[in-house]
Amino acid sequence: MLEKGKLSGMRRTIIIFFGIIAILSIIRVATGASDLTSVGTAQAALLLSVPIVLAALGGLFAERAGVVNIGLEGMMIMGAWAGGFMGSKHGPWVGLLAAIFFGAVGALVHAIATITFGVDHVVSGVAINIIAAGLVRYISTILAQGGSWPGPSQSPDVEPIGQNGLPILSGGKYFGWQSPDILNSIGEKNWFLISDISRVLRGLTGELSYVTMIAVALVPISYYILWKTSFGLRLRSTGESPIAAESLGVNVYAMKYWGVLLSGGFAGLGGGFLAIVAANHYQENQIGGRGYIGLAAMLFGNWRPGGLLAGSALFGFADALQLRDSAAIHALLLLIVAFLLFAAWRSFKKGQRIATIVALALAGFFAWFFVAFEELPGQLVTMTPYLATLIVLSLASQRLRGPAAAGLPYRRGGLK
Amino acid sequence: MKKSIRVAALVAAATLAAGVLVAPTANAASKVKAAIAYDIGGRGDKSFNDSAAAGLDRAKKQFGATVKEVTVTQGTDSEREDKLRLLAKAGYNPIVAVGFLYAGPLKKVATEFPKTQFAIVDDSSVALPNVSSLVFAEEQGSYLAGVAAALASVTGQIGYIGGVRIPLLQKFEAGFVAGVKATDKNATVDVKYVTEPPDFGGFNDPAKAKVIANGMIDKGIDVIYSAAGGSGAGNFAAAVDAAKYGNKVWTIGVDSDQYLTASAAEKKNMLTSMLKRVDNAVFDVISAANSGKKVNDSLGGGAFGRTYGLKLGGVGVSYSGGYINKYKAKIDAAAKAITAGKIKVPTTPAK
Repeated sequence: MLEKGKLSGMRRTIIIFFGIIAILSIIRVATGASDLTSVGTAQAALLLSVPIVLAALGGLFAERAGVVNIGLEGMMIMGAWAGGFMGSKHGPWVGLLAAIFFGAVGALVHAIATITFGVDHVVSGVAINIIAAGLVRYISTILAQGGSWPGPSQSPDVEPIGQNGLPILSGGKYFGWQSPDILNSIGEKNWFLISDISRVLRGLTGELSYVTMIAVALVPISYYILWKTSFGLRLRSTGESPIAAESLGVNVYAMKYWGVLLSGGFAGLGGGFLAIVAANHYQENQIGGRGYIGLAAMLFGNWRPGGLLAGSALFGFADALQLRDSAAIHALLLLIVAFLLFAAWRSFKKGQRIATIVALALAGFFAWFFVAFEELPGQLVTMTPYLATLIVLSLASQRLRGPAAAGLPYRRGGLK
Repeated sequence: MKKSIRVAALVAAATLAAGVLVAPTANAASKVKAAIAYDIGGRGDKSFNDSAAAGLDRAKKQFGATVKEVTVTQGTDSEREDKLRLLAKAGYNPIVAVGFLYAGPLKKVATEFPKTQFAIVDDSSVALPNVSSLVFAEEQGSYLAGVAAALASVTGQIGYIGGVRIPLLQKFEAGFVAGVKATDKNATVDVKYVTEPPDFGGFNDPAKAKVIANGMIDKGIDVIYSAAGGSGAGNFAAAVDAAKYGNKVWTIGVDSDQYLTASAAEKKNMLTSMLKRVDNAVFDVISAANSGKKVNDSLGGGAFGRTYGLKLGGVGVSYSGGYINKYKAKIDAAAKAITAGKIKVPTTPAK
C-alpha cells in the first residue's frame, strides 16, 4: 500500500539513522570533536533518553485515550521515590515494580478526577505534580526521623541492576562465556565512518542494564498494542471520537482508565529508572522536569512511538554531548546548519518561500556563530538539548496532529 | 493614630525582647533561646544543613540553650519569610538562617525586628547591624583539595564538577584550580557545571553528574572534585563503575566528610573531602549570644559577621581513609602559607 517512490517506515528510519552518523563523522573529522561518535556518548545518550522515552510513552497512552496527562512529572516523582524506598529494602527489581505501581496509583487519582468527575485535565495534572512532590517529601521526612533513611531528601542506596551486551558484537557475557567484542575492536580502528558506526552501535548495545533493554523494547511493544490489537484500536478510538466509539459498543470509561493507568505505570517506571539505574538512590527533585520533556517528546513524535523515540533520542544525544564535552557542542552547530539547509531545500522544492528564507537565515546565523566563537558560553551549551528540540519541533510542527478528543471531557450518552 | 500604634508595638516588642533577655537569668540554664531555619533538605541532608545542626546540638549540650528548628519545604521566598517572622515573633534570639537563599526574606524580617539578632550562612549581602553574615573561605579549603588532587593524579588530568554555575561555586572552582596549578603546573583541570542558573536542578541530579564524570573519565581524568550537593553521588558512582573495568579514579567530596557516609565501594575511591565547618560558625553565633555578644566583624560593604577561613578552622580537608596522609606535609605547608598571607587564593575563576 506504499506510495510509489516512498520508502517504508523501517527503511527510512535506518537510512536517517546512518545518514546522521555519516554527517556526524564528517563533522568529527572536520573539527576533531571525537566525542561526537564515541561509545561513551552513545551510552550516555541512551541513559539520558530512557526516562524521557518512558515518560513520553506514558503521555502517549493517556492522550491516545483522550486524557491529557500533565501529571507525568508527579507520577515520575512517585515512581522514583518508590524505587528508592522499596529498592533499598528489597532489591532493585522489587523497586522497579513498586515504581510502576506507585506511578499507576498517581495515575489512578488523575483518572478518577478527570474521567469520573470531569475535572479539567490540566488542573488535575498540575495538582498531581504538586501533591506528589509534597507527599513523598512528607513520608521521607518521617522515614528520616525514624532513622531508616539518611535524610529526608535521599533514600539509602539501591543495589545496581545487572547489565549485559549483545553476544559476539558487543562483548556480552552469557552463562559464564565472555563473547568477543567485535564492534568495539572495529571502533578502535578509527576507520572513517565504519568505526564511527561501530562505536555508536557499540554504545547502544553494549553494557546495557536489563531495564534499559526492557524500556527500549517497550517502544515497539507499545506500537504493537496500540496499532495491531483490538484493545489498541478501541483505546485510540476513545481519543479520537468517544461518542462514535461508544455507539460501536466500546466501553469508553474503561478504555480511558486503562490508558491513564498504563500512562502512570510508564511514568513510574521512568522515575524508577532514574533512581535505580541512572543513579543509585532516590534523590529529591531528581526528576527535574523530565516528565514535561517527555510530553514534549511525544508532541515531537506526532503521538507515535517511533516518533517519540526519535524526539527523546535527539534530546538525550544533545544532553549527553553537552554534559560530556562542551567543545563537541560547538561542532554540533554544523549539524544544525546542515539540517537547516536541508529544511530550506525541502521547503524550496515545495514552493514555500517564507519557510525557505527563514531556514536559510537561521542557517546563516548558526554558521556565523560557528565561525565567530571558538567556544560557546556555558549557558548556551546547557540549553542545547532544548534548543535542538525546539528547532526541529518548530520546523515540523505544521504536520503534527494529535488525537482529536484529547483533553475534552466525556460523558456517557454525549451529555456535556 | 497609626503612628501611635506603631510606637506602642515597638515598645511592646522591645519589652518582649528585653524580657526574653532578662527573665531567664534566674534559671541555672542558659538564657539563650536560639532558633535555626534550614533550607530545603533540612536536618539529615548529609551536607551543610546537617553541619549547621551539629553546631546547634553542640550549643545545646554545652550551655543548655533552648533551641527550635524549622525547615523550608516549598522553597519559596514567602515561605522563608514567614518562618523567620514566626521565630522572631516567638522571641527566639539569635535566629540562624542556613543558606544564601534566605538573603532576601531575611533582609525584610531583620528590618522588622531590629532587636533580634539574626545570622545567615553563605551570604554577606544583608547589610544590617543585627545580621551576622557567616561566610566561608571555600576557596582556601578547595585550594588544599587541589593540592591533594594534583599529588594523587597519575595522568595529570583533573576534573571539577559544580552543581550550578553561581558565584559561590565558582569560588570552589577558583581555589581548586589554583591549588592544582600551584602543585603541578602542567596539570589540567576540566571544569563543568551540571546546570546554569536559574536552573538549580544541578544540585539534585546524580544521573547528569554521572554522565559528566563518565565523560571526564573517558578523557583520561583520574581525580574528580564534585561540589554539587546531591548530584555528587553521580560522581562517586562513576568512579565505582570505572573501578569495575580496572580504572582507578579518585573522587573528592564536599562540605562534610563524605567518606563517613559513603558506601564501602565508594570509600575505596574517596580521596578526601573539602570540609566546610558550618557547625563552628553556628556554634560561634549562639555562644556569643550566650555571653551577650554578637559575631560582627566588619565584612565590607556594610555587612557584619565573620569569614571562616583556614585561620578560624572554618574550612579544611579530611583525612578519613588515610589516602592523603602521605601528602600531609605539603598540604599543611600550603595551609600555613595561606594563613600567613603568602598565598592569595583567588575567589573567581581566571579568564
